[in-house]
Formats: sequence, structure tokens, C-alpha cells
Amino acid sequence: MNRRDFIRTTLAGAAILPSASFPFSVPGLADEGGRKRLREIGIIIGDLAPGPFNAITDVRGVRVGHETIIKGQGRGAARTGVTVLLPHEGNIYEERLFASSFGLNGWGEMTGLAAIEETGLLATPIFLTGTYNVGIVQSAASAYLRKTNPRLGLSGGTVHPVVAECFDDFLSDTSSRPIFAKDVFTAIENAAGGPVAEGAVGGGTGMTSFGFKGGIGTSSRKTKSGFTVGVLVMTNTGGRDQLRIDGAPVGREIRGYEEAEKRTKSIILIAATDAPLLSYQLKKIAKRVALGLARVGAISGTGSGDIILAFSTANRVPRVPPGPVQDIRAVNDFLITPLYQATVEATQEAILNALTSAGTVVGKDGNTSYGIPLDQIERIMKKYRRLGE
Amino acid sequence: MRGEKNSITDVSGVRVGHLTFQRDLEGPSGDMIAARTGLTAVLPSLMEKELRFFFSTYALGAGLEITGFEVTEDFGYLNSPLVITNACNLGKAYNAALSYGFTLKRGEIWPPVIIGLNDSYLNEMDRECLEEEDILETFRRATDGKVEEGSVGAGTGLRALGAKGGIGTSSRRVIIGEEEYTCGVLAASHFGNAGGANGKPPTELTGEDEGALILVTAMDVPLLPHQLQRITRRLVARMDAAIPSESFSDEVLGATFTTANAMTISEEGPPEFEFRSVADHYLEVITAAACRAAEEAVVHSLLQARPVRGRSSRTLETISPERLAGIFKNHE
Repeated sequence: MNRRDFIRTTLAGAAILPSASFPFSVPGLADEGGRKRLREIGIIIGDLAPGPFNAITDVRGVRVGHETIIKGQGRGAARTGVTVLLPHEGNIYEERLFASSFGLNGWGEMTGLAAIEETGLLATPIFLTGTYNVGIVQSAASAYLRKTNPRLGLSGGTVHPVVAECFDDFLSDTSSRPIFAKDVFTAIENAAGGPVAEGAVGGGTGMTSFGFKGGIGTSSRKTKSGFTVGVLVMTNTGGRDQLRIDGAPVGREIRGYEEAEKRTKSIILIAATDAPLLSYQLKKIAKRVALGLARVGAISGTGSGDIILAFSTANRVPRVPPGPVQDIRAVNDFLITPLYQATVEATQEAILNALTSAGTVVGKDGNTSYGIPLDQIERIMKKYRRLGE
Repeated sequence: MRGEKNSITDVSGVRVGHLTFQRDLEGPSGDMIAARTGLTAVLPSLMEKELRFFFSTYALGAGLEITGFEVTEDFGYLNSPLVITNACNLGKAYNAALSYGFTLKRGEIWPPVIIGLNDSYLNEMDRECLEEEDILETFRRATDGKVEEGSVGAGTGLRALGAKGGIGTSSRRVIIGEEEYTCGVLAASHFGNAGGANGKPPTELTGEDEGALILVTAMDVPLLPHQLQRITRRLVARMDAAIPSESFSDEVLGATFTTANAMTISEEGPPEFEFRSVADHYLEVITAAACRAAEEAVVHSLLQARPVRGRSSRTLETISPERLAGIFKNHE
């Protein structure tokens, strides 16, 4: 099977199982064929309704693309990739968006952060990848931005692409850095609105979270005023016993699976909204993302790089201003709370979608990260009366 | 170019009030206690309307108190008089600002933004001496006219560079595109008293040496909170480098607001605001104007400070012209 086929099967919801070399029997593999999103199991988080795709792409103009890299088995196996988020349909370098970040625990990398915190503006696409891929992805992102903005580096100044990482070394030989600039360009070409592939895909291919296979997840919420908040995560964090779904201690009650990886290693969370928010307001959105993370049980351990970035697509701030003063819209701070609710709900569901969507992946040295058993989730959620009989 | 009054009150709507408290009180055992303190309030507008102003603070700090800090950091706006007083009277001033809001029958004034300094070199600072009624009167009588400078208000007991410190103000006009704006600074000078400059630690640090340069900057330039933050950081960094003090015990605190983009905000709406924002590449012009005004405000605060004799028979004289000359190399 070549790489493209792997991607296709991943998108179809199947597990990445190099079956020929699969050395031992795995309990609960019966449900591996049909990975589902959380809502498809019947589990509803919160009160607000999601947008049409229940994805960050419900924020109009936001596009997401993946490139998944799967090479070899056993020693030196690569299970990695890159996910790109294009914040609007125009040229983000020329037409910037208000943005802000919140570092819940700083043991991680998000390049471009200093410029965002200083200027309050996002001026680049956002890339999610494995830890040691950051330099290569940043370099490719920079090349892409120079190509699409010929003034860049000369009269146009410099740009600082946002590239964030989680450590995917359990499943991937990450120090070999098995990614090339062309993979980054492919991810950009793949970027589209509509449904977003989740689980073991793109930057999430090698991630493990709450003791099971993690990766990319997304969700959205609409507020009564008609605004949308969308969240996209790349999750590699959390211990199995910590996992909670809608308050139920699901992680503690799952039977039979060996915890794949006990060290907690980061989550990157991106929130997008079409509500007109200024950067100080987006800082507050970013903090609410942390609350969503807490509600699925994460405690943000010392080795976890839990970095949150929030942006709004409503106001565009041109790099070359047409005049000295620009009109800017902003939501009344006293009416902003529904956006916080949307953020907390969408964050939880995005993280849980990553888990329920990701099938089992066998990676480097035969290390195995199991897809969380959906039948057991159903059983436990029924026990705690979060699901009807 | 300076504003008409060369004062923070050149920014339309901005008013300043001083409460000077300079008395010899009889102590419990018949001894005399020297009170040399006061309060200075900068009011961003007539407080009759419940207006909020985008606001930002930044400090290269020694640990001065500034109340309302969390709302400032999180929401980026000011809904209070901006008050400088000594740390001992801070609670009283805080409560008076709340009372002021209630007496106005407007929405609340909250959170009060009160900055507390240490004026204990000249002032018997171990007691609260300001009265709420006097503070309220100071808010009511605050003027948009000429501002008294030197040993007045919060400047009464201040000390700078071993001489008398005080309050000073100055303003500059800023041209952006076709529009002319005004930027005014009110400075409280209380720095350069601890030893240990030139990379050497002080031999002895006492509470009296806790210094501060407080720069309240008002402007009518349309800016958003993160832009005010950028300007304030630069202003503070530049002034920290400009004053002849290298002591960690001197805090340089910037508190900057703009009267443009003022809003009346409530849960009843409006759902959205339309703000205006100057393009980022004008921030330098604005910061330079603020720096020039800040330097001149500091010069005024020292030049205008008449001598004050305070506790323990200490007297601080007006700074000598020689000492003052060349304090800011860039100053015109």
C-alpha cells in the first residue's frame, strides 16, 4: 500500500495496521472498522448546536489540509505529517487577523508567537506537526509565504510563520525528521473547507492521547447571535485514568487495554471565530479553550506543551493600510459569554473527536497506540446515564 | 509642538485634581507628626456618563501597587479616575472612588485604579490621613485648565535625585494623516534616591528608598488596547533608560488611556462597537510624542517643586539647575 492509499483508508476511518507484521492479538479490534465521531455515538457535549460540519471550517473562510507520512515498520518507522490551517480565503500575510495566545503550560513550541503577542495580529497560516519537524515545516512555510508574497524578505519585511508541535516519538522515529518541504506544500494544496479528516492524519498521525490513539480533532458551536466558534486540536496529552467524557470517568473504566504511552506530551489547540473580537478579547477566548481541555480531564502536566491560539476572521487589518485610520468592529464585552460557552463546548468535543476518530496505529519498534474502544465508551456512558439505553 | 496649556488637560475632557495634605499633627504622646502627602487624580472625562476608555499599563517594576490591575490586563479599559497617592491612603482613595460613582447616580465606577507610592522620607507614612470627603471634593473640582505642578497633591512628599520631587505635566500634538491629535503626560517623580548605581548594589536599602516614576499618559488618538500596550511598553523602557537611576528599587510605571473609542457598555447592548484604529506604523510617532511630553513633565515636576521640610527635620530643596541640566540628553 503506498502512502496515498494509507491516507485514503485513514480518511475512511480505518486503522493504520501494517497487518503482515502485526505481532500480537489486540482485544476489541472488532470495532476497528468503524471509527466514529463522538456525536455519531450519540454523545452530546453541552447545549449549543454545532455548525453544519461540526468543524473549525464552519467559520467561513477557514480551510484545513493534511499531509500524512507513513513509512516503514519497526525500527525507523515514520508515523508523522503536517496539518495546515489557512485562516481566511485571501492572502493572510497582506490581510491580517486579530489573534492572541495563551500558554497553559509552556513546555512546547509555537513559532511566530512573539510577533502575535506584540502586534495582536496573525499574519500566516498555522501549521501543526511533530516536534523535530518544526524547522523543516517553518522553512517550507516561509518559502510558501515568500512565493505568494514576492515583496517578502525585501521591501515587504519578514514574516514569522506559526508552526506548533507535539512530540510523536512513541510511534514515529521523529529524530529522523521524515518530512520534506513538498509535504508541507501538499498539505497547503489539500486545504479545503467542509468536513475535516480527523484522528491519525496530518500532524496528528503519530500522536497518542489519554492512553489511546490521539491526533487531529475538530468541532464547532453556533451562538444565538449567529456567531460560530470552531476549534481544531492536535492532541498528544493526558493519562488514561484522567479521561472524562461529559463528566463520566471513562478512562478509569475501560477494560483490557494496555496504556500505550504514560508520559504526557502536549496538545495544541486553535480556536477560530467569525465574531468580531479584538486581541485582548481573543486572549480570553484562548483561556476558555483551556477550560475545555480541563473538562476532558487533562491536568496540563509539566512536560506538556499546552499552547492555545485564538483568532477572529471578522476584521482584516491590511499590512499596507489604505488610510491612517481603520474602522474596527468588536463584540460588547458584556455580551461575550455565549462565545465562551461555545469555546468550552467545542474544545471538549474536538479533543474527544480526535480520540474516537483515530484507529489503532502500530509504529516505531512495534509500539502500538490503540484506537479507544467505542463499544466500551458506549457501555460506560450508559452506566453513568450520559447515553440512553 | 506643545498643546495650548502644555498639560495633560490639553487632551479634551481630561481633568486633574490635587489634594495636598501638609500639616503638623499632634501625636499620641504630644510629639509633632509631619504629614507631607496628598493625592493627584487624573479623570479621563466628566464622570457623569458611564464611559470606559481603552487603557493599558506596563511597569518595569519594584512592586508598586496599582489596583484594578486584573481588569486592566484582561479587559483593557479604564472606568475610574486614575489616582496617585501614598500607599497608606490607597484603600481610602479606592473607597472614595467607589463613593464618587455612587454619588453621581451613574453606573458604578469600578474597578478604581489607584497607584500607591512610598513618600516616607518626608512624610510620617505610618498613618492614613486623607479624608474621604476631601478626596471626593478633589474629584469634583478637578480642572481641565492649567495644572499645578511641583510639591502638590501626590507630589507633596516626593523626593527625586536627592532633591524635592513632585508632579509635572506636558503635552505634544501628533499629526496622523490629515488629523491632529494630542498626547499629554502627567509625571510623578520620586526616583534616584537609592544608592547603588553604576552596577554596584546599594549598601543599605530602606523603605524610604522605594522609588517610582509614574507616567500617566492621556491621548485622543484612536487606538485599541494592544496598541496602547505597545506604546506604553516603549515609553516605560525609554524613560527607564533616560532617567539617571540604575536602581531596581525605582519603578517606572506607565498608565496610558485614549479618549477616542470611549464606550458605554452594558448587558443591554449594543451588541457590537465600531472602533477606530490607527495603522500600526504610526505608533512610533505617538510614542515619540509621549516620550517628549514625559521628559518635559519630569523636568517640570522637579523645577516647580518648592522646598518642603518634613519629618525628622528633613528638608528637600528644589533641584539645582546644574543637576537638572542634561538630565535628558535628547530633550530640546
